[in-house]
Amino acid sequence: MSDHARFEKLVMPHLGAAYNLARWLARDGHDAEDIVQDACIRALKYVDSLNRSEARAWFLTIVRHAFYDWCERNRPADIAHDDGSALEAAVDHNAIDPEQAVLRRAESKAIADAVAELPLAFREVLILREMEDLSYKEIARIADIPIGTVMSRLARARALLQGSPRLRAIGERTSGGER
Amino acid sequence: MKCDQTQPLIAPYVDGELDTLRRRFVEKHLKNCAPCAEQHADLVALRQRIRTEVPYFAAAPALAERVRAIVAATPPAGSSGRPHKRERWPRLSVGVSRHWQWLASGAVGGCAATVLAFVAGTAVLDWQASQNVVAQAVTRHVQATLGHRLVDVASSDQHTVKPWLSARLDYSPPVHDLAAEGFPLLGGRLDTLGGRKVATLVYGYRKHTIDVFVQPDSFDMPSSHELRGFNVAHRRAAGWDWLAVSDASPDVLNGFVSQLVSAATAK
Ligand SMILES: [Zn+2]
Repeated sequence: MSDHARFEKLVMPHLGAAYNLARWLARDGHDAEDIVQDACIRALKYVDSLNRSEARAWFLTIVRHAFYDWCERNRPADIAHDDGSALEAAVDHNAIDPEQAVLRRAESKAIADAVAELPLAFREVLILREMEDLSYKEIARIADIPIGTVMSRLARARALLQGSPRLRAIGERTSGGER
Repeated sequence: MKCDQTQPLIAPYVDGELDTLRRRFVEKHLKNCAPCAEQHADLVALRQRIRTEVPYFAAAPALAERVRAIVAATPPAGSSGRPHKRERWPRLSVGVSRHWQWLASGAVGGCAATVLAFVAGTAVLDWQASQNVVAQAVTRHVQATLGHRLVDVASSDQHTVKPWLSARLDYSPPVHDLAAEGFPLLGGRLDTLGGRKVATLVYGYRKHTIDVFVQPDSFDMPSSHELRGFNVAHRRAAGWDWLAVSDASPDVLNGFVSQLVSAATAK
């Protein structure tokens, strides 16, 4: 099979996962597309070394690398000191019924915004775990960190979300302050 | 009692990372310990919220088309040296995972260079491009934006770009900066379209790049077009032919070409 055929067969099915990861890392749709395109060029170059069973994690590893390279070129401050301070709202919402969906949407937006505001190191681990359902071992490979670090970052990410003022504000409004 | 032992296992338990023995240990403890059970419930609730409320961003269909266009425009394997032929997944030890570093650096620079060498040395990129000016224009746009040789002359000054192009062509294309309209001129480039050397004006629009191929001859094609995830707008006026290619939306692109034409015909 040619590299182009391998690419179509092994990499293209994971384009959606690649875009979602890039989108959550870069927090911008257009930047995410650039990152994915860059990742695809890299993936094509090395696709002959790829086994089918690991295609998604392998490709996501490349996407992550492409993101960090992109960051170095375009937003060095993001890597240098990502303190999780708020950036521009990262989430678009398409409510079906505006009137009924207002509160629901406010809640959804709250948690999505809280995820978007997580520091990069925590955000990437959380996205890989919760949205891609990858195992600790796979995440460790992709992020190039020990499994222990995956666990501690995941724990930190979750603690930050649970303690996020955004979520707490919503919780108080919907349940009268009770937990 | 066993809380100290259980608490570090709650997250791995929720994540399905425990073996049977430890899973049973946690389950048993959760039944008998309210604080740990609450911690577990919180974690499950958080996961539920993330999975249902945090959007999984879908890639636009155009992205897949663009990726396929990029792949098609990239030479087949074997035409360039590979740094490592058969890389394996790294094991989890720190030393081995360095193997992956080559993916991070060098790869893309090398690849862009390869694309460029291929473009320069090969007349026919694919069968479609050889027969179709639109496909050629899109292919040139892809190669220029990916190869990072976006412009041959970088300038926002029309009085720099125009003479540069005129000196290298047998015509002098109209060049206008549209920064005030939101389309700053980034520079110019020489390309070959339909077997003819043409002037390419490169404009920015927010984060998009727009290539405009300008020449006195007429291309026979519809006024707007979509190919491989890129939008193409074509206009003929005052003896000039404008062919614009970008990943910006058709509306933006058509509006842009109209402004370009009115700037060129205003004089
Ligand atoms: Zn306990």
